[in-house]
Amino acid sequence: MTHPIDVAVLADYWLAALSPSDEEVVEQHLLECDACGSRLREIIALADGIRRLARTGSLRMIVSDAFVSRAADEGLQVREYSSAPGGSVYCTVTADDDLLIARLTGDVSGVARLDLAFCDAQGVEQRRLPDIPVRAGAPSVLYQESMAFAKAAPDNTMIVRLLGIDDGGREHLVGEYTFHHTRSLPGPGEW
Amino acid sequence: MTVVELSDADLVRRIESGSDAAAESELFRRMAPRVRLYGLRHLRDGYAADDLTQQVLMTTLEALRAGRLREPEKLASFVLGTCRMAVLDLRRGAARRARLMEEFGADTPLSIEPSVPHLDGERLTRCLEALKERERTVVVMTFYDERTGSDVASFLGISAAHVRVVRHRAIHQLRDCMEAGA
Repeated sequence: MTHPIDVAVLADYWLAALSPSDEEVVEQHLLECDACGSRLREIIALADGIRRLARTGSLRMIVSDAFVSRAADEGLQVREYSSAPGGSVYCTVTADDDLLIARLTGDVSGVARLDLAFCDAQGVEQRRLPDIPVRAGAPSVLYQESMAFAKAAPDNTMIVRLLGIDDGGREHLVGEYTFHHTRSLPGPGEW
Repeated sequence: MTVVELSDADLVRRIESGSDAAAESELFRRMAPRVRLYGLRHLRDGYAADDLTQQVLMTTLEALRAGRLREPEKLASFVLGTCRMAVLDLRRGAARRARLMEEFGADTPLSIEPSVPHLDGERLTRCLEALKERERTVVVMTFYDERTGSDVASFLGISAAHVRVVRHRAIHQLRDCMEAGA
């Protein structure tokens, strides 16, 4: 193992993901080297910061069922809306909600790449998450919307599209899902 | 030469050669943060890590005074062995504390010593958003739950080795991004 120890290796050490022999080498080194100790502190701060952010529900990202269950077990209030392709869902968030999850079902088998596109009420694409992480054949995609954004959002309609991209770059619609958000928290009527 | 300039091994020699308060206090100052990191890693609790540091350094000093460390160059090995023994003892204490905290309903975030760098939350959000979707999901799911291999791998339908590659790339990128804004 080289010095200074790579930060990713230090992260593995923090996560208990090293082999016992590598762990021993790292630990022995950390008891002799303050520079690597400082780098490990940075990693600990980063890990702690990511965990705190994840708990706020403010990150837009694809999550797993295990992640959502763990959050609920931890006492976080999870609001989840499920929709099939072509479905239309009426949704809101309250002050007590911590995580906002959209469960989008659809057939994602045989798809080389999957994108998630967000469109306005007219269907015009506003932004896109390219190449989202989903296992081939998974029955659904769980998208976490930013809770900070949802709590601030006025009444609006958002159309979400799951788009499969084949090896030749051709795009096809896996599913389109419409979310009608009604604000239940005080705030301005529009952005 | 002042004690601050001495190597770890030379400090050990000074302590072993007789009563040397300056060398002993320098050894404490130097080893305490290193041992505490070991404690944080294994006990996941700042208070337990403090207890561990105290216990390990007292045991180490006692051994040095008694001349039991034959090769001063092997101080790190000796301290590592002492840490392992102490963790076994303290785990019981930490488990008891965790039960108490649960009973009284307290939130028990990891207590991190003041020397752990302050992290700019807004910057971290932007740096996480700059990651590719796959990397963000891997890194957040990993650190949220402190899980590494199989859970994330089965969710993504890739191997644990591949998850490791994605995680490593994401950590390098995050660190570069955080440093760029520091």
